[in-house]
Amino acid sequence: MSKHQPADLADLSKDSTKIPALAVRTLTVRRGRRDVLRNVTFTVQPGERIAIIGSNGSGKTTLLRTIAGLLRPRTGNVHINGVPATSSDSGIRKTVGFLGHRPHLYPYLTARENLQIQARLFGVQNPDLRIDTTLSTVGLATSADRPVREFSRGMQQRLGLGLAMLHSPSVLLLDEPDAGLDPEAIENLPEMISRLCPHSAVMFSTHDERVVTALADQVGRVAQGRVSLPNQDVKETEPSLAREWPDQIGFVAATTTLIVKDIRTEWRAREQVPTLLIFTLLIALVFDMAFIAIIESEAAAVATGLLWTSVLLAATLGGTKLFAAEQERGTLDGLLLAPIDPSSIYVAKFCVLSIETFLVGAMQLGFISLLLNVPLLQGATIGVLALSTTAISAVIALHSSLIINARARELLMPLLSIPIAIPVVLAGVGATLATLEVTPAAQQWPWFGLLAITTAVFLSVGVVLYPYTTK
Amino acid sequence: MRSIPSIFMSGLSFLVLLLVMGVALFATFLFAPAERVQGDVYRLLFVHVPSAWLAFFAFGVVAIGSVIYLIRRSPRWDRLAVASAELGVLFTTLALATGSIWGRNVWGVWWQWDPRLTTTLVMWFIYAGYLSLRAYTDDPEIKRRMSAVAGIVGVFSVPLVWFSVEWWRSLHPTPSVTSPGGGLPRDMLLTLLLCVAAFTVLYGIVVRQRMLLEQASSLAEDLTERLHAQSERSDQ
Repeated sequence: MSKHQPADLADLSKDSTKIPALAVRTLTVRRGRRDVLRNVTFTVQPGERIAIIGSNGSGKTTLLRTIAGLLRPRTGNVHINGVPATSSDSGIRKTVGFLGHRPHLYPYLTARENLQIQARLFGVQNPDLRIDTTLSTVGLATSADRPVREFSRGMQQRLGLGLAMLHSPSVLLLDEPDAGLDPEAIENLPEMISRLCPHSAVMFSTHDERVVTALADQVGRVAQGRVSLPNQDVKETEPSLAREWPDQIGFVAATTTLIVKDIRTEWRAREQVPTLLIFTLLIALVFDMAFIAIIESEAAAVATGLLWTSVLLAATLGGTKLFAAEQERGTLDGLLLAPIDPSSIYVAKFCVLSIETFLVGAMQLGFISLLLNVPLLQGATIGVLALSTTAISAVIALHSSLIINARARELLMPLLSIPIAIPVVLAGVGATLATLEVTPAAQQWPWFGLLAITTAVFLSVGVVLYPYTTK
Repeated sequence: MRSIPSIFMSGLSFLVLLLVMGVALFATFLFAPAERVQGDVYRLLFVHVPSAWLAFFAFGVVAIGSVIYLIRRSPRWDRLAVASAELGVLFTTLALATGSIWGRNVWGVWWQWDPRLTTTLVMWFIYAGYLSLRAYTDDPEIKRRMSAVAGIVGVFSVPLVWFSVEWWRSLHPTPSVTSPGGGLPRDMLLTLLLCVAAFTVLYGIVVRQRMLLEQASSLAEDLTERLHAQSERSDQ
């Protein structure tokens, strides 16, 4: 029996030895052109705590990230409680807690708000009580309502530990949990885990001998792509029948949580919308100077061109940061670890970009109307703007997810997105000209039809294809 | 290493290409008669139309290769997609260039903001973006996955280009082979079909060679990486 196993778990573990908490079989993982892990096989029983040690670059992080489901193995598989972790049903992720090199935190939200998002995405029961318990256990009760960007590295690590353990996972994976912690917190680490996740199988990497001694039942070594763990019974590595298949969180609930999170972050940071607004309004000003001598009949065409240039620019600029910001903060991993349909992440980003682009476009409608004396601010034009920004955002949100791992994002984003969005711009321009009666008013309906079709097509394509960009 | 039958098939396909290309060249310059109004300039048709057709075909193959790659994750399908995308961009460039030269003689301008021309240029940009995405992504697996998604999204531009001459008023003529009544005299039509066949054989052979090159390059990088790993281990 594990030395950290509570007494009431002793009987349970006798029955559950056939279903290990974690079973890794013949796992080979390739990063770039190198097999970082080769043919790795082991099991971990419920309540066991295993330290993974090895030199830098030996594959410890790759092992933990693959078990967590963030990396796709080349061969082999991972079973959590007998359920394949690569299952298309993301509900299995409810049973895994993961703390990476960087905690998955939103700097403009408070510690409590970060935990609330995690609780919603993981479907935690009695979330308020659990969040209070977690905050006091990791020693952040007094800082619960402070924004995370004011936290020290050590406080962020404590909160990261709290996030990983909030939903009481069956398997807890910690990549250097002691990083940034003060000696007192390192000493309390076993107690934190015992209080928040008493029955979990724990696997952690570290370079600190004190942490190994305090926390681990067994020590595994990673070297040259192999993992050697003592006390491994080969028979136990056979896959077992699933005990229970957890449900994933509802699509609408997950999407709503992510939209609220992004809007709240933008409201506090005020980085995206003001930048786009100023940028596009200044463009309108420059255009106004260039076309100061235009004759009245051409003003509507110039205003239309200016409006759609601004909308496209705003959407492209806004879209470039959409997934890149999540990637740079490390929070995208946090979202991909949640038991939600990955498409809900895409839909949430699409909704936020649509709102931002529509806001910028609506401001431009008023501004251009004033500058060029063209009646752009009318119901039909606002309708065209709403439909077009939706379609453009569907395209750009998908392309934003493609460029997060690429260099030269500022080059790739317009190159990939603007040509694809051309039919939308074409329809937007056509419908706007018809509403301004530059072309016959009856012509606006076919353009509205084209806009509706492109929105439906691009959104469907995005929902279907986005999960493929994640793994 | 390539097997003897594979080398034999490659040699044979090159011979077939030489033969078909030779016949197509003969038909283009000696068999097809001069056009009554345009004279010999119209002979650009025999490069312009096959290039445009091959561009559409190549981008269709990109989409198919990309879909199968995302399902099976076999690098072979990614190699097919990238080889086809490169040729698609090349053929689109050729179609745009020959169209522009032809347009200068017929319309009096090198470029016209015509729906067919504009949408073709848009299509060129989409696949230039696809190739750029690959060029700027380092991790091979991520590169394959992301470009597969871009390859599928990009194919939505193909029907836009194809139907642009029907959906909008265009200076560009409607398809002369597939539209009812045709419009091309028999000898010209025969020459055009022969050129399309020759370009298609060319496409097939170049795609095959490009896929082999990509495979060899990937293998070379794998071997280099393995050598590095081995020397690192021996250092330890």
